Amino acid sequence: MNSFLTVLKFEMMHYLKNKVFVISTLVLVLLVSIGLTVPTIMEMFEGAEDEPGIEKPAEDQDQYGLYDPNGVVEDFEFLNNQFYLGNLQVVSDQKTLESKVSSGDFEAGYFIKDSLTYEYVVLNKEMTDQGAQGFEYAYTKLFQKQGFEQRGVEYSEVEPLIQPTFNSDIQILGKDSAGNYGYTYVMVFGLYMVIIMYGQLIATSVASEKSNRTMELLVTSTKSTYLIFGKVLSGAFAGIIQFALILGAGKIAYTLNAKAWDGFLDFLFDIPGTVILNFSIFGILGYLFFAFIYGALGALVSKTEDVSASATPITIIFVAVFMVAILGMNDTSSLMLKIASFIPFSSFLAMFVRISMGEVTTIEVVISLTILAVSTFGVGFIGSKIYRMGTLMYGNPVKIKDIPKILKSQ
Amino acid sequence: MRLEVKDLVKSFGETEVLHGISFQVESGKALGLLGRNGAGKTTTIRILMALFEANGGGVVLDGQTFKPRQHQIGYLPEERGLYPKKKVIDQLMYLGELRGLKKKDLKEKVLYWLEKLDVSHYKDKKLETLSKGNQQKVQLASTFLCDPEIIILDEPFSGLDPVNSQILKEIIREQIASEKLVIFSSHQMSYVEEFCEEIALIDKGDVVLTGNLKDIKVEFGKNRLVLSLIDHSPQDVDQVLKQHCDDLVEHVEYKKNHVVLKLKESADKQQLLSRISEKALDVELFSMYHPSLEDIFIESVGDEK
Repeated sequence: MNSFLTVLKFEMMHYLKNKVFVISTLVLVLLVSIGLTVPTIMEMFEGAEDEPGIEKPAEDQDQYGLYDPNGVVEDFEFLNNQFYLGNLQVVSDQKTLESKVSSGDFEAGYFIKDSLTYEYVVLNKEMTDQGAQGFEYAYTKLFQKQGFEQRGVEYSEVEPLIQPTFNSDIQILGKDSAGNYGYTYVMVFGLYMVIIMYGQLIATSVASEKSNRTMELLVTSTKSTYLIFGKVLSGAFAGIIQFALILGAGKIAYTLNAKAWDGFLDFLFDIPGTVILNFSIFGILGYLFFAFIYGALGALVSKTEDVSASATPITIIFVAVFMVAILGMNDTSSLMLKIASFIPFSSFLAMFVRISMGEVTTIEVVISLTILAVSTFGVGFIGSKIYRMGTLMYGNPVKIKDIPKILKSQ
Repeated sequence: MRLEVKDLVKSFGETEVLHGISFQVESGKALGLLGRNGAGKTTTIRILMALFEANGGGVVLDGQTFKPRQHQIGYLPEERGLYPKKKVIDQLMYLGELRGLKKKDLKEKVLYWLEKLDVSHYKDKKLETLSKGNQQKVQLASTFLCDPEIIILDEPFSGLDPVNSQILKEIIREQIASEKLVIFSSHQMSYVEEFCEEIALIDKGDVVLTGNLKDIKVEFGKNRLVLSLIDHSPQDVDQVLKQHCDDLVEHVEYKKNHVVLKLKESADKQQLLSRISEKALDVELFSMYHPSLEDIFIESVGDEK
């Protein structure tokens, strides 16, 4: 047992002293922390001007041009008040409108040809351009106002009928799949990244011990199960530490900046305890399951450059599992997700998605967890045998179909 | 301690590579495992180290089945290898800890061996920055640092220059003197000859010769004599012998400046000596033949003719 701890400590230090690991963790923690602090920083610079309820002065807002040669707009004040994108300025001719848009004085401009026809003038139309919608919203209001008033009806009387404001509340008896989507997606994706990254690292680490021939000394110094378990578990710990640090930094930064965010990212950070617990259990088992496979695959090759080729089949399976989980998030009661939640290759993601977003009974969770735990143990056992067998097999990568034969002959 | 290897058989797939290897060695002695490339030395050692499982036979230590992990063994594998990107001291500490050494004693031992092997100034360097010979010395330090009762060295001298070979020779001598059980494989006969009382010569998976080296040499030298005559080439000597001593000499082997001859069962060296003086042959050298290990090796396994 002592040697197991020795292996674990050595392998852990391998990660913790690794510059790439330390720097990438630091960078991610900083990025998350800084990213979540941005709104507070913006508030500090903009000061009280941005306080809700206080309008910016017209000259500080984005400027838009309006050319209305036929005098369609009777109440410019009303139109400008309804125009939420910025401030409208009337220009006297089309040329001025176009030149001010071209020079950037105006974000965009509107040329009203008649009461139902207008031209939207913009320099570059971006994907997210809201100029036309913003104007139409205000212009529709003006159109309705003018129309009603021409017919002798006071607009303020009919407005609540045309655009009623409802007070609504939602009472969710089951699960708020839409609301849980955000954090479930982040967690599934995070786990996917951790496994695929650490899986490759473990496989490479095993293969490099073979290629630099340290393996023969190691397996004569201690049990091979200690070696592979130490490697896999240290990778798990390093992954958990990294994941927890990033998530923790996010949570802390979000809490500290809660005022500026005003609950905007609650869908990402307001994770229920049971979901975190289930994520941890399924995530760790799923991680170990794949890590043992990656470790064993690393032992089948002799050179580190062969690792990626050897690991490709399992990586393809893993990507497919990820796709099933992500697609399953759109329909948590689909048969595909249900089946996937009991297969050890996919259950750690599929069952987690069902727990987090769908309907699932405790007994289903227990069965899935038992299958996963037993399979992980089995994979660990077989993985350590393959690792031991691969120790002294140099030369061409071992084919998976030859493994049983070789295990027998040794 | 007495280690006995008994009738080891090993197959890889359909191919049997060891057909029944047996030898034995005791504490305070060194056994040289000899053989040509691919003879089965490394496979035998790997079975000893429980890296491979034998298909037949076994290894016994003082009458008990030998379980390598229950003993401190200094093992130097044929395929040398440590972590190239780790500091010398870190990896030696790790390997020592894996073998159950306590951290405090271990550090002393690591420093002692690095000092002894004259690589202590590299202790904080990454292994890959050392020359091949110095890496080999670090590997040797890892072999000896657990103060092993049994030392198994697979081709320990390969890659070492004469000065470093000398250092290693002294270490091996010390280990033998302090009652360690040493097994080492090599095809460099001179080294084996220097330390080994016992040898086991393996050829194509069989032991073709085993036992005490002195006895083997006596056995090989029996009835053989070295002869050279002044102003005679080995071929001339052969002619002379054929002419005058054909009834006494069975076989003649040419060496550079002399011949090694084998006497017939019925003949002895006195008869040959009198015959030579009778014929007034001018003797330059007449002596018992003391075969070198290399001669024995070549004669035993080199006859692919």
